[in-house]
Amino acid sequence: MKCTYKQVVVSLALATAPLAAFANADVEKLTADPKNWAMQAGDMYNQRYSKLKQVNDSNVNKLQVAWMFSTGVLRGHEGSPLVIGDMMYIHSPFPNKVFAMDLNTNKIVWKYEPKQDPAVIPQMCCDTVNRGLAYGEGKVVLQQADSTLVALDAKTGKVVWSVKNGDPKLGAVNTNAPHIFKDKVITGISGGEWGVRGFVAAYNLKDGKMAWKGYSTGPDEEMLIDPNTTTTWADGKVQPVGANSSLKTWKEDQWKIGGGTTWGWYSYDKALNLMYYGTGNPSTWNPAQRPGDNKWSMTIFARDVDTGKAKWVYQMTPYDEWDFDGINEMILADINVKGKPTKALVHFDRNGFGYTLDRTNGALLVAEKYDPKVNWATHVDMKSGRPQVVAKYSTAQNGPDVNTKGVCPAALGSKDQQPAAYSPDTKLFYVPTNHVCMDYEPFAVEYTAGQPYVGATLSMYPAPGSHGGMGNFIAWDAGAGKIVYSIPEKFSVWSGALATAGNLVFYGTLEGYLKAIRKSDGKELWKFKTPSGIIGNVFTYEHKGKQYVGVYSGIGGWAGIGMAAGLEKDTDGLGAVGGYRELNQYTDLGGSLTVFAIPGGN
Amino acid sequence: MHRVKLAAAFFCASAAIAVAEDKPGTVKTDLYTVTDGYKVDANTMKGFRTWRAAACDRCHGANQEGLVGPSLINSLKILTKDEFKATVTEGRLEKGMVAFKTSQQVMDNLDNLYAYLKGRSDGAITRTKVEELKE
Repeated sequence: MKCTYKQVVVSLALATAPLAAFANADVEKLTADPKNWAMQAGDMYNQRYSKLKQVNDSNVNKLQVAWMFSTGVLRGHEGSPLVIGDMMYIHSPFPNKVFAMDLNTNKIVWKYEPKQDPAVIPQMCCDTVNRGLAYGEGKVVLQQADSTLVALDAKTGKVVWSVKNGDPKLGAVNTNAPHIFKDKVITGISGGEWGVRGFVAAYNLKDGKMAWKGYSTGPDEEMLIDPNTTTTWADGKVQPVGANSSLKTWKEDQWKIGGGTTWGWYSYDKALNLMYYGTGNPSTWNPAQRPGDNKWSMTIFARDVDTGKAKWVYQMTPYDEWDFDGINEMILADINVKGKPTKALVHFDRNGFGYTLDRTNGALLVAEKYDPKVNWATHVDMKSGRPQVVAKYSTAQNGPDVNTKGVCPAALGSKDQQPAAYSPDTKLFYVPTNHVCMDYEPFAVEYTAGQPYVGATLSMYPAPGSHGGMGNFIAWDAGAGKIVYSIPEKFSVWSGALATAGNLVFYGTLEGYLKAIRKSDGKELWKFKTPSGIIGNVFTYEHKGKQYVGVYSGIGGWAGIGMAAGLEKDTDGLGAVGGYRELNQYTDLGGSLTVFAIPGGN
Repeated sequence: MHRVKLAAAFFCASAAIAVAEDKPGTVKTDLYTVTDGYKVDANTMKGFRTWRAAACDRCHGANQEGLVGPSLINSLKILTKDEFKATVTEGRLEKGMVAFKTSQQVMDNLDNLYAYLKGRSDGAITRTKVEELKE
């Protein structure tokens, strides 16, 4: 059945008949051609892999800047541009400019800059990032900060349709990239620190009409959960979640302001017709105010793209006590897991565990630490799927107004949103990570609509007793749950990785270096200092027979300079070598795109 | 004994800021009283709680030394009390500063928040996290 369906879609993609109702075919066709970079992750599996190999491990040392472009905005630049044929679509942080550039001339064909209420800027505290655009059926889709989702005509930049996705006055703003799966634009919501109730919504690419909306928390029908057919991993098997699976895990109505926001990267498996994403932390950060597992915050969701119905769920961090948002990307890959060929979903959670699940049914297969310093839990119990919390690091057990010290990882997670890459050549995952620990002191807070709702004071510093740096770039075997190699980095690696068929992996650093390492063994082959720290994702494309590699630079936000000043003086002595403070010695704000190529003809 | 001193301090709030060292380790102004750099009077304590509840640290840094937002250690040397209150109430939206006028706790504690932050800026309160002065 699956094969038949796949064949139908593939044949449609190849057919010359009108494809209006099958946008998926359009995007699929575009992503199948490695000359394009047609989705934020390059494909629907979130693999961030390119078949291009003109730039490879034997010539990458010749890579030079081909051209640069300033967005004119000095804030954190996340995500990457898209490349469709001769056109590149470039985005910026707030005010969310979009530039359509003709790659033949480097001329801006059109520019779009929405008018947005500046009141959303403080609500995006502390960074006004935007993770990029989506493209499908001749439309460029932008998810604005003020929650407006807008489809632009890719040829002219004219607004085709525009819908409001949330209420920014309540802190419901957006940073995520929209994703086009099938004939839908899928988007989420931010605002977990404002008591926003998370959801994922699907809008028709054609007209912007909402097709479905599934909340992360609350009554079954609002989550699009069927108590009998939606399943989860429990007692060593996949079983129905049962009635009121969310409501019974919250104190009173806390779920209404309980977070579970959805600002990460989503993936889609056409054969299963399922999309995958993670939900964020429960609100507030003070666990004493929300006893219970707080389902389905901190959860991997698999939803049917047509209906939104939840096929399965898996909660990674029940009753969060550390702000370990579960929003990080789900990477789909067909790999051997403990020797068995598996349709896997691989997820590097903020909580420091790398999870491998069977993406067809949500069965838990592997859950291992991808940073050996992770200490808040000893392990994940494979039968119950629950992390085994270490009492000493439990901010709930220690209670409000007590400073729980030395928790690893910090709230930033062993990895935040910065997406990892997967290479089908090596069957390994290449993961940008943080190597940061924290002190966490929760305290009681009251909810006021439209006001910050946090409830904990944090202090972060490099993982003690390690190499002194705040990051690692690792290669990970998701079938075994083991680190294959680990490259220490001075600062968190907050840039999305790119793996290529040229035996290369690229990633950026907070100092502003774009680096190329040899995929097979991690040896650094090339690096280049860009104008500002890199928190964007590396992408590649081919134009007129030449391969290009590009990345935004423009430091900002939580990862950025700011953290330097946030360090508590009394933690400086933990071998921190000044931690993020030193970042000021390398970089400052910026906002530019740098594109590289090997000079000369091909 | 101590309570009397505190009350006196608040009754003369309209006087020019007078820093007095009553006893070793105590700094007393018409805004705040602090001992050993971190034991503060009840109102200044409320100011700290407000600072924390409003999550000011997310932008201004855990130690008020600045982050995405400016250093309040510096800003409070420049801003007048009225300017401070206006900024907190109305925000500076373009710069990313929240308007706190809809937060009851912040509005009720503007004076206390000012006292706490001024104490930090003056260098009299030497730690971010303070405790209430016990009798």
